Amino acid sequence: MGRLFLFYRLMLRPLLLEPVRALLTILAVTLGVAVVLAIELAGTAAAGSFRASMETLAGDNDLEIMASGGVPEAVVGTLTALPYSIRISPRIEDSAVIAVTQQTLPLLGLDLVAESSSWNRSESPSLGSAESFLPAEDAMHFLESPDSIWVGASLGKKPGDQVRLLINDQLREFTVRGVYPDSNGNESAIVMDLAAAQRALHRFGRVDRILLKVPEVPSIEEWRERLRAALPAGVEIRAQGSGTDENRRMLAAFRWNLRLLSYIALIVGAFLIYNTISVSVVRRRPETGIVRALGASRGAVLTAFIGEAAFFGLAGAAFGLPVGRVMASGAVKLMAATVESLYVSSRPGSIELNAWSVTLALVIGPGVAIVSAYSLAREASLVSPVEAMARGRREYMTRIHKSRDLWFALALGIAAVVAARVPPMGGKPVFGYFAAILLVVASALAIPAFADAILSRSSRWLGKILGVEALLASQSLSASLRRTSVLVGALSTAIAMMASVGIMVGSFRETVLLWMNDRLPADLYLRPAGAPAPDRHPTVSLELADKISKLPGVAGVDRLRAYEISYDGLPATLASVDLSALRSDHRSNFFSGRPTEQVLSQIRGADAVLVSEPFTYKHHVRAGGTITLRLGATRASFRIVDVYYDYGSERGTILMDRQTMLRYLPDPAPSNLAIYVTPHATSETVQEEITEASAGYRVLVASNRDLRTEAIRIFDRTFAITYALEAVAVIVAVMGVAGALLALVIDRRRELGLLRFLGASAGQVRKQILVEAGLLGLLANFAGLALGFALSLVLIYVINKQSFGWSIRFHWPVAVLLGAISVVYLATVLAGLYPAQVAVRLNPLEAVHEE
Amino acid sequence: MAIVSLQTVSKDYLTDGQPVHALDSVSLDVNRGEFVALVGRSGCGKSTLLNLAGAMDFPTAGRVMIDGVDTSTLNDAGLTALRREKVGFIFQSFQLLHTLTVFENVELPLLLAGKPNARAAARERLASVELDGLGDRYPHQLSGGQMQRVGIARALIQSPALLLADEPTGNLDTVTGAIILELLKRLTREQNTATLLATHSAEAAALADAVVRLRDGKIEEILRR
Repeated sequence: MGRLFLFYRLMLRPLLLEPVRALLTILAVTLGVAVVLAIELAGTAAAGSFRASMETLAGDNDLEIMASGGVPEAVVGTLTALPYSIRISPRIEDSAVIAVTQQTLPLLGLDLVAESSSWNRSESPSLGSAESFLPAEDAMHFLESPDSIWVGASLGKKPGDQVRLLINDQLREFTVRGVYPDSNGNESAIVMDLAAAQRALHRFGRVDRILLKVPEVPSIEEWRERLRAALPAGVEIRAQGSGTDENRRMLAAFRWNLRLLSYIALIVGAFLIYNTISVSVVRRRPETGIVRALGASRGAVLTAFIGEAAFFGLAGAAFGLPVGRVMASGAVKLMAATVESLYVSSRPGSIELNAWSVTLALVIGPGVAIVSAYSLAREASLVSPVEAMARGRREYMTRIHKSRDLWFALALGIAAVVAARVPPMGGKPVFGYFAAILLVVASALAIPAFADAILSRSSRWLGKILGVEALLASQSLSASLRRTSVLVGALSTAIAMMASVGIMVGSFRETVLLWMNDRLPADLYLRPAGAPAPDRHPTVSLELADKISKLPGVAGVDRLRAYEISYDGLPATLASVDLSALRSDHRSNFFSGRPTEQVLSQIRGADAVLVSEPFTYKHHVRAGGTITLRLGATRASFRIVDVYYDYGSERGTILMDRQTMLRYLPDPAPSNLAIYVTPHATSETVQEEITEASAGYRVLVASNRDLRTEAIRIFDRTFAITYALEAVAVIVAVMGVAGALLALVIDRRRELGLLRFLGASAGQVRKQILVEAGLLGLLANFAGLALGFALSLVLIYVINKQSFGWSIRFHWPVAVLLGAISVVYLATVLAGLYPAQVAVRLNPLEAVHEE
Repeated sequence: MAIVSLQTVSKDYLTDGQPVHALDSVSLDVNRGEFVALVGRSGCGKSTLLNLAGAMDFPTAGRVMIDGVDTSTLNDAGLTALRREKVGFIFQSFQLLHTLTVFENVELPLLLAGKPNARAAARERLASVELDGLGDRYPHQLSGGQMQRVGIARALIQSPALLLADEPTGNLDTVTGAIILELLKRLTREQNTATLLATHSAEAAALADAVVRLRDGKIEEILRR
C-alpha cells in the first residue's frame, strides 16, 4: 500500500502536469503495439488460418494420392479392386472465373454418383450437407448434363440460375443444380461431376487427387505403406491436407519476416520509453533522495520507476488493441495480395481479436516498457540519498563512458560481421537477425561519441551561419548528451530500418528490372483470361496456339507449360519451354555464367532440368545433382544442368524441355505463349491480329512493355506493406522527438526564461527549439543512413538470401532515399513546432523565479 | 528626464482565484547615475517593481516609462528591443548558462541582438569586473563572487541605461557581497547608469544614493542622500 502511495505521489501525479508529453509517450507505445498486433492478426487472417482452396469439401479423409501432372484414372480402378474397405474420392481440382463478377473460385470435379451412394449408406459424407447438395430424385438427370454445377450458398445463387464461367480460355454457360452451405469451414467453390469437369478442362484419363478414407485399424501409416505397394511408382500417397501444410510452410518465411519488421516500431518505442524514464529519473532525483532519506527502500524506488514504465506500457497496450484491430483490416488486404501474387491463391479469413492477440498486446506493451526502463530504475534505486541531490552526474557518466562505448560498438560490429556469415538455422536466418540486432545496439552505443564529436565541432560554425540560436541549440544538445543520444538513437533506428528496407527493395527492384530484360525476350505474351496466381495454371487451347503461330507477322511461338507440384514437402512449379523455338541471344542468366545456348542445349530432349535459385535454397540442391520427380505414373530422375536466376516466384521452379515433359505428361496444351514478331511487323499490328484470331477464346494478350509494367506494379504492391511498417516506425520516432523536445523545454524553462531577460525575442526562442529539432533530425539522418547501409547489406546478402534464396544486386535508390530522409527531416523539424510554441509561451518571470 | 519612471503603478495578481495587490499606486523616478536601493520584507513588492521597471511585466494600472517610452504601448517585439537597448538584469542566483563559457555568457545579449564584435566587448566588460583571463572557463569552475561578476559583466555588455539587480548579494558571503556592491556602485558612477537594487542588505542600503522602503506594495518612504 505504501509503495502504491509512493508510486502515485511520485510518479503518476506529476504526469498529469505534462499531459501532452505523457500522451505522446503512450501514443508511441500504442502505435508500436498496434503494428505488431495488426501484422499478427492480418498474417493469421491472410495466411495463418490458410486452408488450401482445394481442401474445400475435402471431408474427413485420411490419405490423398497425388502426382505431378495428375494421377492416371486407372489408379482409381486399382484402388477399388483392392480387398479393403476404403472410401475412394477422386477429384479434379482447378479454378474457374465467374464472368460477371470476375471472381476466381476453385473448380472441383467430384464423383457425385459415388458420393451420393456413400451418403445413402449413411457413411460419413465428404461433402457436408448431402441433402442440400444433391437432390436424390434429380441426381442422375443432372449428372448426365455437362452444364450442371453446384455452388456455395455465399454466392447467392439458387437452383436453376445460369452462371457464365471462364474455364481455361473458354467461356461457357452453366446451370446451378444445387447449393451447399459454405459457412462452416468450406470455401465457396464451383462443383461439377468428375466427368463433366474432365471434359470442361480437357483433362481426360486423369484426376488431380484421390482422397481416401481408410478404416481405423491398422494405423494410417500402415495403410499408407500397404497402399503405396499397390500404386504406380510415380504417384505419391500422403496424409490428406498435406498441401495446406506445405503452403503454410512455404508462407512461414514471408510471415516471419513481416512479423519481425512489425517489431521495428516497438523497438523505436522502447527507445522512447527509455528516454521518458530517463527524464523521469533525472527530474525526480532530488525527490528520490528525499524519500530514500525518509525511509523508502531501494526496492520501493525500483518498483516506482518500473511501475511508471509499466503504466506507459499498459496504457499503450490498451489503446494499441483497438488501433491494431483497425490497422489489421488494411494490412490484411496488402498481405493477401502478396500471398496471392507470390505464393498461392487464397482468400483472407476474418480478423479475430482473440485471447492470444489480447495477451500478446498486454505482454509486449508493458514488457518492452519494463525491459527498456529496468536499467534506469535500478540505477535510480542504487543511488545514495546524498548523491541523489547532486545534479548532472548522469550527463557526466555519459560523457566519460562514450569512448568505452565506442569500443564496445566496434566489438559488436565485428560480432555482427561474424554472425552474418553463419548459415541459417531451421531454414530461418536467425543469425542474420542477430547480426542486425548487434548492429542496432552497436549504433546506439556509438551515438554518444558521434553526437558529441559533431556537436562540439559544429556549434561555433553553426552559430556563425545560423546565429546565436543555433549556437545555443547545439550547446544545449551537447550538454544533454544522454538525452540527445537516446533521441538520435530512436530516430536513427527508424531511419535506418527505412533506409535499409528502401535499399533492399530498391536493389531488388533494379535486379528484377535487369532480369526481365533476359527473361522476357518475346514481343507479346498470351495467357488465359482471369486473375493469375502462382499455383493456378489454366491452359490455352492448342488450336489457338497453332493458329497464332501461323499468323503472317509471327516469327515464332514458345509454348510454355506449368504444373503445380509438390516437391520434398513444399509446393513448387514444374515448367517446360519449347527449346526449339526459344530465342536466347541474351546474356547468361545462370549461376555458371555459361552462354544461354550452351546451357539449354544440355536439357534439350534429355532427362535434364534447370532449377530456379529459390528452388536450390529451399531444397538444398545444386547444379550437377539429380532430382526425382513423380510425373503421371512414372517416377523419373533428372540431372540438374544449371541454376538460373528467377525473381518471378518464390515457390521454386523446375524447368525442362517441352519435349521431355510431353514424354511424361502428354497434355500438349500450353499455359501461356511467348510470341515473337517478325522484323517487318510491329507488335501492335500483330497484337491486333492475335486478338482477332482469338475470337471465341478468353485470353489476354500483353505486350512486352505491358507485362513489365504489370510485374513492377505487383512488385511495388508487394512491398507496400513494408513501407507502411517503416512509416509507422518513423511516426513513432518523430512523436518521440516531439515529446522529448517538450520535456527539454520544460526542463530548461529557467534558461529559456533567462534568455527573454537577456533580450531574446519570442522568435529567437522558437528558432532555438526548432534548430534543436533540426539538429536532432540531422544527426539521426547521418547515423540512420550509416546504420541503414550496414543493415541493408545484412538484409540483401544474409536475411533475404537465407529466407527466400534470391540473389540481389546492390543498388542505391538515391531518389527514394533522398525523398524519404527529407520527409523525415521535415517531420522532425515540424515535431519541434509545438514544443517551440510552449517555450515561447513560458512566462520568464515564473521560470526565473522558480530558481 | 528620469530613465525609468513609475507613475501611480499598481499590479494585481490572482493567486488561487484570490486577488493579490503586489503594488499599489507606486510612483518612482530613477535618474542616470543614481544607485537606488529597494528595501522591505519579503513579499512587499520589490521584485514586482523591478520586473515592471525592466519591461518584463505590465502594470494593472498606471504607467511605466523607460527613457520616455510608455511600456504599455509596445508589443512583444518592441518590449524585447527596449530591454535589449536600455535594461540590464542581475539575479540573486547569477543565472548563468552552464553550458556556455564565461565569454559566451557575457556576449550572449549582444549575440541575441545581432551586434558585431561581441567577443571584444565581452573581454572589455570582464576586465571592468576584474575577471581578465577567466573568459574560457565554465561557470561551475568559478566561485560565487566570480559568477556574480560574470552576471554583472553580462548585464552591462550593452551599456544599458538602467541596471536592475534583484538581491545580487543574496547568495554570497558578507565580504564577497560587499565587494560586489562596491563594484556595482562604481560601475553605476563610471557608466552613468541608473541602478535599481532590490535588497535585504543593510550594507547595500547604506551605499545607495536613495533608499526606497516598500511595505505591502506601497512606498512607505524614500530616503535620498
